[in-house]
Amino acid sequence: MLDVKSTVRSVASALVVVLFVATAAMAHDPVFGPGPHTLFKNGFELAFNIHSVEAGASSENEFAAELAYGLTGDWTAGIEIPYLSVDQESAGNSGLGDIVLFSKYRFWRRDDFGSQTSAAVIAKVLTESGEDEGSPGLGTGTTDAIIGLTYGYEGRKWYRWSSVRYRVNGKTANGLRHGDKWMLDIAGGWRPTLHGYREPDTVWLLEINGEMVGRSELNGLELVNSGGTQWFVSPGIFWTLRNFAVKAGIQIPIYNDLNGDQSKTDFRAKLTFEWHL
Amino acid sequence: MASLREDDDMNTRKLFLLLALLLLSGGASLAGETRYEMRVDGLVCPYCAYGVEKKLMALQGVMEIDVDLHNGLVVVVTADTVRFTDMQLTKLFNDAGFTFRSFRQIVPNADTGS
Repeated sequence: MLDVKSTVRSVASALVVVLFVATAAMAHDPVFGPGPHTLFKNGFELAFNIHSVEAGASSENEFAAELAYGLTGDWTAGIEIPYLSVDQESAGNSGLGDIVLFSKYRFWRRDDFGSQTSAAVIAKVLTESGEDEGSPGLGTGTTDAIIGLTYGYEGRKWYRWSSVRYRVNGKTANGLRHGDKWMLDIAGGWRPTLHGYREPDTVWLLEINGEMVGRSELNGLELVNSGGTQWFVSPGIFWTLRNFAVKAGIQIPIYNDLNGDQSKTDFRAKLTFEWHL
Repeated sequence: MASLREDDDMNTRKLFLLLALLLLSGGASLAGETRYEMRVDGLVCPYCAYGVEKKLMALQGVMEIDVDLHNGLVVVVTADTVRFTDMQLTKLFNDAGFTFRSFRQIVPNADTGS
């Protein structure tokens, strides 16, 4: 017999995971939204990401290792392996999360003196590797996919990015399907001081991130306390020295319209250490 | 007789000195460097330009590179034996994620004086 209560609990806990989509670190891109930048051909990108989410009585900390490879100068593919620590009210769990496979193809690029404008398509597969035996679960229990389109302008002083992504979720063996999600991002960046190639470089970032989640379904029936819309303003910083980068940012909710009785996100934070090899 | 021997020794020393000078000048020309200046578009940030350094330093004979982001230039110092072509540099910089426009030699070759 289907345990509705435990299913609903799994929806609530998974929302902390599902609503926060790890964006693979990629060179000079925004902290939370994606950008069109790709890795140089035959190059490697090694990154360590720390994500934190607080939503009412739930919290999640994710420590992820990421490896990306430049298949060509315009095509990058990689993998992200997360380790999660999730707390929900009085319960806690930690372990392997959903491994993510990702790829980005920059299909258009225009290079001018002092600027680069480009656009790329993004694809991600979120596997169901997350341990789901404990409570709260560490993954969605399904294989999900994200596709997206991103645009970026990079100048010596100013940056701007925009992107749109769509996440489609699978269905668990119990018949639970998390709502699909649209994600919209716009971002701006400012380099206050122009530095040389072998000098430290700082870019300040400001993003607006929106998420529109459909209602979850249990065996075809919509769950009342699921889905909704959230918008965030996200200041961040990007600091680099030759082939090493540190990215950090915080997402502050500015608008919430969540369906039914759900915990609103208090904040999200991200810290990334990244090397190009 | 003794003075003839002294003359022989002097001539021998002069010959050795001449040979040493010739060898040194030949060694200097073998260690000659050539400096190229490459105009590249899309060069914006230091972090993004690292791929340029990786690609160029992987070429045999390339000794050092620097990226002038402000002027959109990549300066490359190579051994005298290195020769670049437009096609080669177009592919190299495209693989690094940028667009190559042109290059020129900016330091005369020590041997030719050109």
